[in-house]
Amino acid sequence: MKKITITLVLLLLALPAYALDGTQLLKQIDRNLNPENFEMYRKLINVEPDGRKKEFVLFSAKKGLDKIAALFLEPASERGRSTLRLGENMWLYIPNVGKPIRITSLQSIIGGVFNNSDILQLDYAAEYDVVKVDETGNEYLLLLKAKTKTVAYDQLKLWADKSKKLPTKIECLTEANMLIKTLYFKEVKDFGGGIVRPSYIETDSPLYKGYKSVMIFAKIQKRDFKDEVFTLTFMPNIDSLRK
Amino acid sequence: MILWVFIFSLPCLGWAAEEKQEYKFDLSEIEKKPYHLGGYGEFRPVVNGLDHDAALYKLRFYNLDEGKTTKEYNFKLLVDGSYEQDNARFFLRLSYDVNNTYLGWKDDLTPYEAFLSLKPSHSLTLDAGKKVAKWGKGYAWNPVAFIDRPKDPDEPDLALEGYWVLSADWIRSFSGPLKTLSFTPVFLPVLEGINDDFGKTGQANIAAKLYLLLYDTDIDFIFFTGGSRTTRYGVDFSRNLTSNLEVHGEFAYIEDFQKRYIDSKGNIFSSTYDAISYLLGVRYLSERETTYILEYYRNGTGFTKEETQDFYSFIDRAYDRYLATGSSAFLAKAQSLSQGNYGRPNPMEDYLYLRISQKEPFDILYVTPSLTTIVNLHDSSFSIAPEIAYTAITNLELRLKATFLVGGEGTEFGEKPNNYRIEFRARYYF
Repeated sequence: MKKITITLVLLLLALPAYALDGTQLLKQIDRNLNPENFEMYRKLINVEPDGRKKEFVLFSAKKGLDKIAALFLEPASERGRSTLRLGENMWLYIPNVGKPIRITSLQSIIGGVFNNSDILQLDYAAEYDVVKVDETGNEYLLLLKAKTKTVAYDQLKLWADKSKKLPTKIECLTEANMLIKTLYFKEVKDFGGGIVRPSYIETDSPLYKGYKSVMIFAKIQKRDFKDEVFTLTFMPNIDSLRK
Repeated sequence: MILWVFIFSLPCLGWAAEEKQEYKFDLSEIEKKPYHLGGYGEFRPVVNGLDHDAALYKLRFYNLDEGKTTKEYNFKLLVDGSYEQDNARFFLRLSYDVNNTYLGWKDDLTPYEAFLSLKPSHSLTLDAGKKVAKWGKGYAWNPVAFIDRPKDPDEPDLALEGYWVLSADWIRSFSGPLKTLSFTPVFLPVLEGINDDFGKTGQANIAAKLYLLLYDTDIDFIFFTGGSRTTRYGVDFSRNLTSNLEVHGEFAYIEDFQKRYIDSKGNIFSSTYDAISYLLGVRYLSERETTYILEYYRNGTGFTKEETQDFYSFIDRAYDRYLATGSSAFLAKAQSLSQGNYGRPNPMEDYLYLRISQKEPFDILYVTPSLTTIVNLHDSSFSIAPEIAYTAITNLELRLKATFLVGGEGTEFGEKPNNYRIEFRARYYF
């Protein structure tokens, strides 16, 4: 009886450690993916069901938990457009229109499988709580639940490499456990400055049969920005951040 | 047999080779240069179906016989250029238009914008030159756009010509419910040859906008005063009620607005009053990726139903007089008024705007059909414009749009010179 009691007490003490570990693990995964403040260039390739490809090149700047801006560099029809995310607010600026308009996270301004929340991705720990962590072979499996209803995906299943603490696959699910899309993280690369992470993400979706989208990362580096950069008024000037 | 297998496998080898090269990202694509040149070229042929019974047809075509339709061939080259050095940047946007209409060939080169921008810090930007402000949150109309040229509600996304100004943007960020505050003062002089189409010349004008992001709501307070136009105050807002439903609005108060109007006999009257204009709109994105934009607009500077009907009646009388006597004096008077406030898009008081667009319906790639309607709530006349856009080829946009004007005698859309308009637009970005 005494042994059972001691065992139970030890197990109860261990449970909070697991919950804490899950959150800490997710934060570590976030930091391994990107520094807290950084700039980067990405190419998004949408492969259409007819095989044609549409390519977009973006410059992005991120600060802290909830500030991220992106500027389209290519193609010419999109050049100069920018998007901004500040907390739960998201805007799109089109140079011809001349003023930002509010957009939603589930919308996709570029089409394809990636949507605005994928392009303006915040830290996973900022938007999700860790419900459970399992270990399967050489991977962790984290079950994540959205903190609010405004988050794009209600649940995530995140597989992460144990040794590198980097995601290998993420399934994005609805509240009813319906699969929206799957993200595959591939080709880990050293970007310098201590940033070693997957250099491209592939995604497909049962809701977009025949579509595939790919995100290729380049030139990720730590950089601090003023808060004023992540404002509506600054959106027409995001290109001035590029060096 | 082996040969046939080889032949049929060739495309697969090609695809495999293509797939290996598929995911390339050349760093030269992201190299920043100090200069930039880009823009678009556009070809836009149009057919207008004329309404021979309409008052504005008589006004425009009283001494012409163009038959049942007129055709237009419109060419546009819009070029953006910029040069950046340290904290300074010069930006130029030029529009070159060539048009062929029933009046013949015409061309026009207009600098839409040309300004120097200095950024001493990310919190402060100073601009001097010709610049577009684009204030307001409305989609089709902007009653608070005090220092902008009026936009066409049928084409609200088009680039506009700016005014010569000195302006600044000062930005501050905070944590807490007030996340952002920015202040934009503008000095707008009106002299002969500089902004002289803005209003009374020989005057200095000041405008300012205070922007807040407060409790996740965009709010602007806007002010204008000067000698060229009367003093006016405005406020606008935009907010997401849910992640896919946005609400926005504008309110403008214009002191001592002077409205000139005509009666059916050609007597001109003037009234001065404080005008109130406002707008309320929503934007909704459905799960099927259908976008709905609905706006109600109250134009406090607009004409009443009776004032507008009197104008059309005067035109009819002037036209009858021309037919009887050959004198176009009264028609000239009506034309002068039609180039003023009577000739604005949507010159009356209460309007409803609805635009519905569907991305790739039935999984038809690259196709976006839309339907837009503008309803005059006083006389129940309206325009309705179905369109279809096709964007399969990178940097090439194709659009076919038809606009139908529906309304009886004495109504805004019923008295326009045309019944319908069919337009094709091919735009190539470079």
